[in-house]
Amino acid sequence: MAFTTLACAKINRWAVLQRFMLGCVVWALAGTALSSGDFRVDNIVPRFEAELLSMDAQLTYRLSEKADQALTNGLPLEIQQTLQVQRKRKWWFNAAVVTQQRHYRIQFHALSRRYVLTRLETGASRSFRDRQALLSALGRIEGWPVMRESAVQALGPIQLRLTTKLVRDALPRVLRMAAWLDADWQLRGGPLVKEVQP
Amino acid sequence: MIRILLSVLLIASLYLLTAATENTTRFGSLYLWLLLLNGVVLVILCGLIIHNLWRLLRSLRANQAGSRLTARLMGLFVVMAVLPGLVVYGFSMQFLQRGVDSWFDVRVENALDGALELSQASLDQRMQDMLRRLQDAAEVLVDSEDEMIPLTLGDLRARTAASELTLLGGNGRIIAASSVDTEDILPHRPEESILLQLRQGRPYVALDPIENAGLHIRALVVVPTPASPQSARVLQGLFPVSPRVDALATEVEAAFTEYRALSYLRGPLKDSFTLTLSLVLLLSLLFAVWSAFYLARRLVAPVSRLAKGTEAMAAGEYGTQLPPGGNDELGFLVRSFNDMSRRVAEVRNAAERSQELVEAQRTYLETVLGRLSSGVLALAPDGSLRTFNEAASGILSVPLDQGVGSPLTSLAAQYPDIEPFAALVSRQLQSGASEWREEVTLDTAEGRRTLICSGAALPSGPAGDGDVIVFDDVTTLIQAQRDAAWGEVARRLAHEIRNPLTPIQLSAERLQHKIGAALDGSQADLLKRSTDTIIHQVEAMKEMVQAFSDYARPPALHLQSVDLNALIREGVELYRGQSGQPKFTLELADDLTSLEADPGRLRQLLNNLLQNALEATQGQPDCQIELRTRNGEGRYADMLELHVQDNGPGLDEAVIEQLFEPYVTTKPRGSGLGLAIVKKIIEEHNGTISARNTDTGARITVRLPLRMKT
Repeated sequence: MAFTTLACAKINRWAVLQRFMLGCVVWALAGTALSSGDFRVDNIVPRFEAELLSMDAQLTYRLSEKADQALTNGLPLEIQQTLQVQRKRKWWFNAAVVTQQRHYRIQFHALSRRYVLTRLETGASRSFRDRQALLSALGRIEGWPVMRESAVQALGPIQLRLTTKLVRDALPRVLRMAAWLDADWQLRGGPLVKEVQP
Repeated sequence: MIRILLSVLLIASLYLLTAATENTTRFGSLYLWLLLLNGVVLVILCGLIIHNLWRLLRSLRANQAGSRLTARLMGLFVVMAVLPGLVVYGFSMQFLQRGVDSWFDVRVENALDGALELSQASLDQRMQDMLRRLQDAAEVLVDSEDEMIPLTLGDLRARTAASELTLLGGNGRIIAASSVDTEDILPHRPEESILLQLRQGRPYVALDPIENAGLHIRALVVVPTPASPQSARVLQGLFPVSPRVDALATEVEAAFTEYRALSYLRGPLKDSFTLTLSLVLLLSLLFAVWSAFYLARRLVAPVSRLAKGTEAMAAGEYGTQLPPGGNDELGFLVRSFNDMSRRVAEVRNAAERSQELVEAQRTYLETVLGRLSSGVLALAPDGSLRTFNEAASGILSVPLDQGVGSPLTSLAAQYPDIEPFAALVSRQLQSGASEWREEVTLDTAEGRRTLICSGAALPSGPAGDGDVIVFDDVTTLIQAQRDAAWGEVARRLAHEIRNPLTPIQLSAERLQHKIGAALDGSQADLLKRSTDTIIHQVEAMKEMVQAFSDYARPPALHLQSVDLNALIREGVELYRGQSGQPKFTLELADDLTSLEADPGRLRQLLNNLLQNALEATQGQPDCQIELRTRNGEGRYADMLELHVQDNGPGLDEAVIEQLFEPYVTTKPRGSGLGLAIVKKIIEEHNGTISARNTDTGARITVRLPLRMKT
């Protein structure tokens, strides 16, 4: 299961600019509306095990009313977890060394009346009797392999930066516009940063 | 260029937006960006329209040509574009709402609900069967040895047709498992809520959709442990649903889910269509309004230019050319205007050239007249003075510019010296003669002047008819002729008379010497008186002949700088204490400029003038002679003036014209050469002399140039 994605250390400036512009537009249009949902990164626990740096983490997922309603009506929601390994630099932004992402889809299965959690990278799925059980399982990360211990030694002190968000681009197109403008769809958590010494 | 670019951009953007709204996979992901792009175009169009409106309002306030027509056309275009657009928009919105709603039907919804419930009911029966199978299998496991459990599980999985059997501890820990899928080694741990349900003695059975594996039935039952009831184990079984049932159930589930999702997305779908339609309409309308500005301005531009061109023509800017228009009627109008303007300009230029030619001829004529030594006067038909040249003012010694527009007789009232001239002209004009010539004499401050006048009637023309008078001062010419005649007379007299005088004188002396001794007393006295008389008269005649000779001989001047005031004071000193005790009054200018002259000749001149004045005032009880000098002014600025005024009886009007000619005198003992010599000395120095009577006597005016002209 090769779900680790190595990203180029160079920051994609155009993507940053796009996000910044879109963020400005969304912020201007959304105003000060607050979302009823809440995504949080509560804890990160790095650990070295078998010459490998792994990470355990605890996240809290609470869907907003609109997201919950969409899920109940059969719309699949996609949630992304992003782990970034950053190398600290003096007088400048940290450099991203590794970026890994996990994409999950949660969906209500009407026939079985169960909520299905699917890891999109692998296709592995589990079903849950209720939504809260699914979200709890989604928020529990155990043994996320980050990088080899030797690579950590070579880099020196690093930071683990974990974020999560609801992927609005994965929503149906007709809902995407509202998702960009409605604070109930601005569901994101983190970043939470944890420093790791080699 | 910007318009074309913006138009292409707008059309492309609207096309992409429409394509994205239709949910094509190609543009769907760009929907948000297209919305933003169209929003930017919207803002740009609004800005352009506001800018155009502001320009239009400004031109309306400034009352610029064509602004009202532009506003009217603009309003018309906007109404024509907006009204149909709004109508189409209204109907489109109504169709949109109804069209989307028509996709959803209650009966379809109920049918899908029923199908789902049917599927669930069908699967419920199967789930109960699987639960019973699992319970049977759990009974077998009760008596199994721990070491044999993995083998027993394998047998039970095969017997129950399960795809996976898992034995869990009371805490959910996996004890043993058996699965047909050897790749998925680790079975899923049940949820805590399910374990809690089992602890409560209730078995669990439910459908479990597994990605890429289809529907399964998951069942969990408690495996009793007689030896240790507190540590009961749990048996979990995963049973596949038959492929046929799985396919049917999946179809029903997919249809139900899709319909429900569509029903949920009905509102956002309407909003999306409404937003796209509104944006398209708004952009189209704004583009139409903006284009209306452009079209109105483009249509009105030739009319505005024509109006401006007309204004320019009215302001005198002939030849104004407008940029060529198209081939329509407006273009024809512009071409006609340009032709008209060009022709008017050509006519104007021809008139200006004619005027310039006339002005040049007039200037040339004025220059010629100004350089003429003859005086020229142009008179209007009513006899009033129209124009004159400089020489006319100089000859008449009056400022003729004061008399322009009035008859010469009016000017003569102010300046009596030109009275004879004015009378002559008036008389000739009244006679109606087309051409005339006559001589007239004026008594001016500079002396008597003889003018030869000729006149002619001007031909009728644009400047009107009238008369032109041309006159010349022939005083100097006449005087020169007289001087030449007298010089010839003097030379002949000197030559013819001097020769016999000496023999006469010698004969008379010999006669007295030879015969006087032979005669007695009375006869000798008679002879002596007679010969003495002859000798004296001959001496007198010799002196007279010498005087004539001097008069006729050309002078040899010895020029040097002379202080005229000093010469006058020196000359006056010679006459102080003489008989009659004349009283000299000297008014000599302190700043008198020294002049270049022969001092000896000037002493003779002063002597003759003073002698003449003394002789004129002889017998007067109070003999007064006034001498005045000053620097010349005006046209005499390069001359000195000397006035000799006496208080005698004045000059005889009968001889005043020939006063400076030889042998002209009113004195009983005068030789008649004194003033003639004075005049000759003046002429030798290129000066002028004049004499006239004043209220107190006679006055002689001498003008001498500061520098002799070579």
